[in-house]
Amino acid sequence: MSVQEITFVIIAVIGGVSAVRMVTSRNVVHAALYLVVTLAMVGAVYLVVAAEFLAWVQVLIYVGAIVVLLLFSLMLTKAPIGRDTLDNQQRGLAALVGMGVLAGLAFLIQDSFGGSKPITLHQATTEQVGVTLFRGFVWPFEVVSVLLLAALVGAVVIARKDDPAGSRRGPDRRAPLRRGSEATRR
Amino acid sequence: MIVLGFFLTAPMGIGYMEHKVLAHMQHRLGPMEAGGFHGWAQLVADGVKFIQKEDIIPKAADSWVFTLAPAVVMVPYIAIFAVIPFGRTLWAENLDIGIFYVLAITAISVIGILMAGWASANKFSLIGALRAAAQLIAYELPLILASVAVVMQAGTLSLVGISEAQHHYWYIFTQPVGFFIFIVASLAELTRPPFDMPIADSEIIFGAYTEYTGLKFAFFLLAEYGGIVAFSAIASVLFLGGYQGIPVIGHLIPGFFWMSGKVGALAFFIIWLRATYPRLREDQLQRFAWVALIPLALADIMVTGVVKVLVK
Amino acid sequence: MLSVLGQVSGGPAVAHGKLLFRPIGPELILVGVALAVMLLDAGYPERHHATLALLSLAGLAAAAAYSLSLWSWTGPTTVLGGMVAADRFTVFFRLVILGVAALAVLLSYQYLERADEVRGEYYPLLLFATAGMTLITAAADLIVVFLALEVLSLSLYLLTGFSFRRLASAEASMKYFLLGAFSSAFFLYGIALAYGATGTTNLAGIAHGLTGQVGPLSLALAASGLLAVGFGFKVAAVPFHMWAPDAYQGAPTCVTAFMSAGTKVAAFAAFLRVFDVAFSPLIWDWKPFVWILAALTMVVGSVLAIAQSDVKRMLAYSSVAHAGFILVGVTAASHAGIQAAMFYLAVYPAMILGAFGVVMVVSGRGERGLTLSSYAGLARRSPLVAAVLALLLLSLAGIPPTAGFIAKVAVFTAAIQSGHWPLALVGVLASVVAAFFYLRVIVLMYMQEPVIAGGQREAETGFDAEPGAVGSLGFVAIAVPALLTLIFGVFPGILFGVLKSASIIRF
Repeated sequence: MSVQEITFVIIAVIGGVSAVRMVTSRNVVHAALYLVVTLAMVGAVYLVVAAEFLAWVQVLIYVGAIVVLLLFSLMLTKAPIGRDTLDNQQRGLAALVGMGVLAGLAFLIQDSFGGSKPITLHQATTEQVGVTLFRGFVWPFEVVSVLLLAALVGAVVIARKDDPAGSRRGPDRRAPLRRGSEATRR
Repeated sequence: MIVLGFFLTAPMGIGYMEHKVLAHMQHRLGPMEAGGFHGWAQLVADGVKFIQKEDIIPKAADSWVFTLAPAVVMVPYIAIFAVIPFGRTLWAENLDIGIFYVLAITAISVIGILMAGWASANKFSLIGALRAAAQLIAYELPLILASVAVVMQAGTLSLVGISEAQHHYWYIFTQPVGFFIFIVASLAELTRPPFDMPIADSEIIFGAYTEYTGLKFAFFLLAEYGGIVAFSAIASVLFLGGYQGIPVIGHLIPGFFWMSGKVGALAFFIIWLRATYPRLREDQLQRFAWVALIPLALADIMVTGVVKVLVK
Repeated sequence: MLSVLGQVSGGPAVAHGKLLFRPIGPELILVGVALAVMLLDAGYPERHHATLALLSLAGLAAAAAYSLSLWSWTGPTTVLGGMVAADRFTVFFRLVILGVAALAVLLSYQYLERADEVRGEYYPLLLFATAGMTLITAAADLIVVFLALEVLSLSLYLLTGFSFRRLASAEASMKYFLLGAFSSAFFLYGIALAYGATGTTNLAGIAHGLTGQVGPLSLALAASGLLAVGFGFKVAAVPFHMWAPDAYQGAPTCVTAFMSAGTKVAAFAAFLRVFDVAFSPLIWDWKPFVWILAALTMVVGSVLAIAQSDVKRMLAYSSVAHAGFILVGVTAASHAGIQAAMFYLAVYPAMILGAFGVVMVVSGRGERGLTLSSYAGLARRSPLVAAVLALLLLSLAGIPPTAGFIAKVAVFTAAIQSGHWPLALVGVLASVVAAFFYLRVIVLMYMQEPVIAGGQREAETGFDAEPGAVGSLGFVAIAVPALLTLIFGVFPGILFGVLKSASIIRF
């Protein structure tokens, strides 16, 4: 086994174990923390296959942003300390589905790539990634921005609880905070 | 090795600097006893004190999360030093995507603070952690956006490359707005005054760190001072030319000393602010990030882009 | 750091080509207008509702005009790095979708005024959804298909829950969102596997890769299966139709009209392109799957519709059944099949949009009067509206001389030509079953007295006998589809003439 393979095995074992612990953990914050480890290990796999930029994107987006938001919202709502409250009645079924997916994917990958020659890695420089992104993938890139904009508008639609007619007549739109406190007083 | 050594000693220096600078600004003398000359060994004494203290884990706390949290907060700041160039050839790693790596890594320490606050089983800790997370998320954006403008001007993400690109002039002259945004956002990322809502001692005791004692608490302090060094170093590289000296006498003094001097000056500035400004209120702090800094940073990027295209 | 971890060699060459933005003009216009509407609402909050609606309409019209100009596009068939197709297939579907959106704006204006739920975010979301729909018809790459699908779905989740103060609307939005997100995951997995099988997400590239492939095809087959499931969710094919009745029922009726017509057209356009182009080398493998899907959808949709007492639910199941009929055309997979499916996709939106439009007009403020019984004696109260609804229902049932009849004949003929006569037979039987519940409504309207439950009729239906109460805008929005079904029913040649060149999928 090459250094690369050994590294991969170590990463895969850590990531796999924490993925399992994530779903079996009964404490929701522990589950989220295991998720951090799993996602970080995915990033590490990207490093192993020389996709450096992608690896750090993974860390920045998933570990730095998504899980933080997840933890943040968990703690803001309910995050019991010391009590194990997560559970549901469908463990068996979930395990079955999980194993099924695993078996299916294992079969698919073995069937398609088993025995084929190892691929030589191409390390993409950041410059190449940038050119690809803004040349070949410029349109998907733009569409993503529209998607995010739509999501933002949606967040506003859902979050804005005030009366539609009232907000239109709202006297001072530059001081939303003051208006908020008025609303609570009412 | 040098980089590691720098990381281990520089925060101590900054800690001592904070003691002394704050004291002098408040017309005190600060530590004078330990070690003899102006209390230089005060930090060593502090370290010994921390080691001797009892390591308490609250009964209701989630013990392993509680124990792990200080490490998660501190490790990212150590990792940052791997890519910071202290001289033309004095760096541990010249990553192709240096600045991106730095920003990705700093994002991790938020998790550590959340872990600390939650695992302490203390409502003040939790409030502190939530404040910290909200603040760090809000100020990460201007931090990244301000760096983007620099990256656009330099045409590279590598920190060595950015330093090299400032051979003729420092980017603080072309990106003053970016520098301002970066420094403000760094202060907030470090939860330093005037952005120290998360550990506002008059309201929530000591935020996420309330329950920590001894060596674990020392870790948090070390992370804070390490963070000051790290962010000062990055700001130096991005805006002050890193190891590049000033034109005439620049090459007389090695780059390492230029870099250290700039880091020291910025660190001094950060400490200075603590003595100068009162704490912001939580909503002011959020509003400042979303309504002022981020639009400003976006405008900065736009102007940089337009100028870059025009100059080309 | 990396040198330890892997053998690193030079990266792949990056293609440089001129970026042609002209073929995506309609989408750029739509998004631009959406932004303009949003800014207008933010800057002048006291503005009239009508201004926003008019601006949106103008945007749709501009986009349509621009699309028309692309009919004679002679440049490369795909642009922007092979991401966007510039063929007449796209132009055709764009025009259908823009028409749907324009009628939906008319309906929405009336609905929002009546329900007093005017909020500035409505029209931008509608335009975003429209942009997603038109974009998906032009997508020549699975990544763009996915992103466009997400843009349209996300906007529709929000529009579904737009009147969130009504619990049913919030619930519908939640259900739609959860199942939609689930289906997106399927779709994404399908894309990943397709990439694994062929090394590209480009539709032409996939077709090319699959043609020359000699090794095991399991990955490609799994990919096509997962993609079919993803599309199945979006077009509401049985057994992936669970969300449709709930979402259609709970959403504001103008949104229901929009999404029942628009989503189906958009998703089927992509379905046709992905399966009849990218996966055409595997045609004998995916055909049985789609065959079963089509048969199940037709039968289950038609049968379940009979049991409904709520008009919106009934029409929802009818829309499920129609997805099955269109799938018959897809299954045929011949040029005739594509042409038939396209004809169906041109007339179906008119029928369902018109039908939901009438439902909206007849129902009262706050979504009352949606039971079948509130249609009793409608002919006496408002003969014109009843006549329009009758025509649309006849068309949905597939009775001559309406367009629905021609459409059904076309898909069944195509299926028989491709040797799928059992499927055509199932389709005909399902149509007979379906005719029952359409005709039931017509009977109710024309042959029964209005139900007066303790003098509550007015309040319950919120609709009085005056024809003027329909509102001229609302009437236009239901009369145009009805007229179209009649025109295309009598002169189907017009549409088939257009389809002759539009049904050639170039990539």
